[in-house]
Amino acid sequence: MRWELDPSPSPWKVFLAYSLFVALALLLLGLLFRLYGVSPLKAYGLLLSPLGDSLGLAEVGRRTIPLLLIGAGLALAFRVGFFNIGAEGQLLMGAVGGTYVALFLPPGPWTLPLMFLLGGGLGAVWSGLAAWLRVRFGANEILTTLMQNYLVYYLVVYLVAGPWKGQMVFGFLYTDRFPPEAQLPRLGDTLVHWPTLLLGIAAALGLQLLLFRTPLGFEWRVLGENPEAARYLGLKGGRLILLAALLSGFLAGLAGVGEVAGIHLRLLEPAQISLGYGFTAILVAWLARGRPLWALFTAPLLGLILAGGDALKLALSMPFRVVDVVAGLLLLSLIGAEALSQRRLVWRR
Amino acid sequence: MRRILGLLLLALGLAWAQGDKLKACFIYVGPIGDAGWTYAHDQGRKKAEAALPWLETRYVESVPEAQALPVIDRFVREGCQVIFATSFGYMEAVLEGAKKYPNVIFAHATGVKRAPNVATYMADFYQVYYLNGLAAGALSKTGKVGYVAAFPIPEVKRHINAFTLGVRAVNPKAQVLVRWINAWYDPAKAREATEALLAQGADVFAFTEDTPTVIQTAAKKGAYSFGHYTPMLKFAPDHVVSGQIVHWDVIYIDFLKKVKEGVYTAKNLQNVDYFWLLQHKAVEMGADYGVPINPKHVPLLQKAEMTVGGKKVSVYDRIMSLLKDMQSPKPTFDPFTGPIQDRKGVVRIPAGKKATLQELLTMEWAAPGVVGDWPGEPK
Amino acid sequence: MEEALVRAVLFGTPMLLASLGALLSERGGVVNLGVEGMMALSALAAFAAALEAGPVWGVLCGVGVGSLLGLFLGVFAVFLRANQFVAGLALAALGLGASGLLGKRYEGTPLPDPLPEGVLAGLALILALGLHLLLSRTRYGLYLRSVGENPKAADLFGVSVDGVRYLALALGGGMIGLAGAYLSLAYRPSWTDGMTSGLGWVAIALVILAGWQPLRAVLGAYFFGLLFFLQFRLQGSVPIPSEAFAAMPYLLVILVLALSGRARAPKALGQPFDRGR
Repeated sequence: MRWELDPSPSPWKVFLAYSLFVALALLLLGLLFRLYGVSPLKAYGLLLSPLGDSLGLAEVGRRTIPLLLIGAGLALAFRVGFFNIGAEGQLLMGAVGGTYVALFLPPGPWTLPLMFLLGGGLGAVWSGLAAWLRVRFGANEILTTLMQNYLVYYLVVYLVAGPWKGQMVFGFLYTDRFPPEAQLPRLGDTLVHWPTLLLGIAAALGLQLLLFRTPLGFEWRVLGENPEAARYLGLKGGRLILLAALLSGFLAGLAGVGEVAGIHLRLLEPAQISLGYGFTAILVAWLARGRPLWALFTAPLLGLILAGGDALKLALSMPFRVVDVVAGLLLLSLIGAEALSQRRLVWRR
Repeated sequence: MRRILGLLLLALGLAWAQGDKLKACFIYVGPIGDAGWTYAHDQGRKKAEAALPWLETRYVESVPEAQALPVIDRFVREGCQVIFATSFGYMEAVLEGAKKYPNVIFAHATGVKRAPNVATYMADFYQVYYLNGLAAGALSKTGKVGYVAAFPIPEVKRHINAFTLGVRAVNPKAQVLVRWINAWYDPAKAREATEALLAQGADVFAFTEDTPTVIQTAAKKGAYSFGHYTPMLKFAPDHVVSGQIVHWDVIYIDFLKKVKEGVYTAKNLQNVDYFWLLQHKAVEMGADYGVPINPKHVPLLQKAEMTVGGKKVSVYDRIMSLLKDMQSPKPTFDPFTGPIQDRKGVVRIPAGKKATLQELLTMEWAAPGVVGDWPGEPK
Repeated sequence: MEEALVRAVLFGTPMLLASLGALLSERGGVVNLGVEGMMALSALAAFAAALEAGPVWGVLCGVGVGSLLGLFLGVFAVFLRANQFVAGLALAALGLGASGLLGKRYEGTPLPDPLPEGVLAGLALILALGLHLLLSRTRYGLYLRSVGENPKAADLFGVSVDGVRYLALALGGGMIGLAGAYLSLAYRPSWTDGMTSGLGWVAIALVILAGWQPLRAVLGAYFFGLLFFLQFRLQGSVPIPSEAFAAMPYLLVILVLALSGRARAPKALGQPFDRGR
């Protein structure tokens, strides 16, 4: 009896595998909730509750925006083989750039576009730096981008505690509020800053087209799938990596501008801005299986998980860690299902 | 007839006494944890709930600022009549929420802006820190006192300054070495910062961080320390001298009672601002509840002497007499009484004056004796 | 000066232990991104056991939980041959979350008799040396390395790829568990949610910095510990803002990496092994 790779699994098997694992995850979650003294069914209901009312949908939407932007970019980057773990830092760089334009340049109709440009640009440069270190020195980008996150974190703290500290914030760690020209419009009285959402949708569509309908995209895909073949074909790996890094950094920077111009309307403590989006977006990208277009589905999905976890926190006064447990279990079940569905049991005589 | 009236009155009375439960909901900025800011607020909530039978409470922990408004929306939907927002950063969410829901009462901790239905409240330690400073100055053999600080905001600076003024009152040559860890909660940073200060000769410690790490680390090398925010004596029973303890429940109970009695409504909170101190019993000096100074250290403090108004007094007596004064309904002593210069020599509080509330809330300067980085120090 | 070295060692020890554990499994080709969660859960288990039965049981429990978690990762990475990176991330989230939830009742309790840090620090050094010898001088080490570089060839030679990997994950997990136990029993003898403070991620980075070699991991961990300590030692004495000091360790890691040339990862790192592929 052996486990081996199944080159063409039947859709039935895939469906079965996924159902099995999701059921397993739900069972474990249910057990956890029971241990906590909460009825599992009630808990599941709460997890899905954001879908039930406009308030919840707005909460899902608010989280989807940065996840979509960053996730689409990361889907590309991972596909090409550039493991960008630095989206958190690139997002913050974008926030810094956007804040600079908002507070230190004369405001006008050009403010918002300029914010996005500078913020995206800073994010791109930051990511590009890691790509350059890899191409030039062979420095592993997982490590460099991770370290870079810390660097930007402290840069933001320095700015809000020092040179950029607001005049009207009683010494707390904030800049002054952005002028109205630097504020993104929102949907109704929710926090959904829809221009950034549109940017995200455009990014997902655009990257998908780029990846699958252009020669550049072809080169990217070859490089990602088979670096040896790429070299054999004479593709310039370094340049391709750099370009993918710049793009994914740019998008993360845009997300950062969106956060400060759409939600906070000022620069503040970094942990409050990035809220783990950079890391959650890794999951968005992975679930999208290397197709930026699919981020349009996986980003809201993860947004729902996060919002649902918060609903649990709120309704049952559960500790905030419950979100991590839910996300962790669901993720494990998903990859287990994927692995299971791609293999088959072979009986040997 | 009388019987029916009596029954009617009884029924009315019962209905009134049962009343509606007042539902108060709390928004916490961090996890409840085992010490520190949010833990203290939650203790206050629990005590209020225990003391007021008509009170029902709910809470959410670790709410980032971006989420405060949606949380307020949810809370109001669930019928919360009073919402406590326990972080400065929730200010805009609170003000927006107040406009959206004019019949809901909001109270914003450490807030500065009010509205007809938004009150602000704070329990401050600066007096307690001064008293702790007196003890620290007396107990330090090296003349170097360590302070592990979180973020350079006025509240923390105010506390460090009060502490330093106290230290210098006993030992005019002493220094307070400050290290910033740029985090509210980070045991690793707190540990290493304490070690760094120990390496530079500090032998007494105070801090602003949400764990007892500084205390445990200092105790390993035999250094004294002062607990922060919650009773921390148990973490180093031989080395914790005193500390600052907060009683948010005092404020919560007072506020909620007034809401229940109709003294506070959703229309008249424009000028309701609690800046409560020792005299209101909102804060306490102590290593543990009811232990103002660790008995192990009392003899040392009684032997130590300081000069007050030209006369020599024992530090212990000075601490206790000031404590008594500041706990009384009409305190006369205030640590921030002029003339006070900052460490650059600029006069910050002129002679004969006390610092105003505004000056306290926006304090950016450093007291003489403070040594170290001081982000945002005025030129 | 010597104070700085002491701090470097004592603060570097949990990172060293965790990175040794991750290094072991990575040499066998299995990426472990779940270190942070494994450390958290092991720290909690160690603390709970120490409260009930003393520090020795605490250490044993921490190591045991770490090993089990390593094997748990193995179920996904080796048995199911799923995506190792995501499995690790999920494990990190799960570990952090579960420890936070389960640890609520232990918060606020100091440990009555903590472990002396020097003991575990010394143990970490011995383990580093032992790991080095294991990898370079023993047959298992040979198997492990071959499995990490070329599992197909190893399989042809009759080496049980799965078995070797499971063992690496269990042993490595034990070391990570020891790191967690160090935190909650010696470094800061108590339990709080999030007390791993990101050290697990640093440990993963240290594996890369060390070029997947145990002795270099010692240098890397102590170097990082030294920098972390120096940020507070030098604050105020030098006219550099405190935030710049805090950023220093991370910046220097990048510089070291850039200057030290290409880091050689095990060739089969991160790829699930399927026979007949």
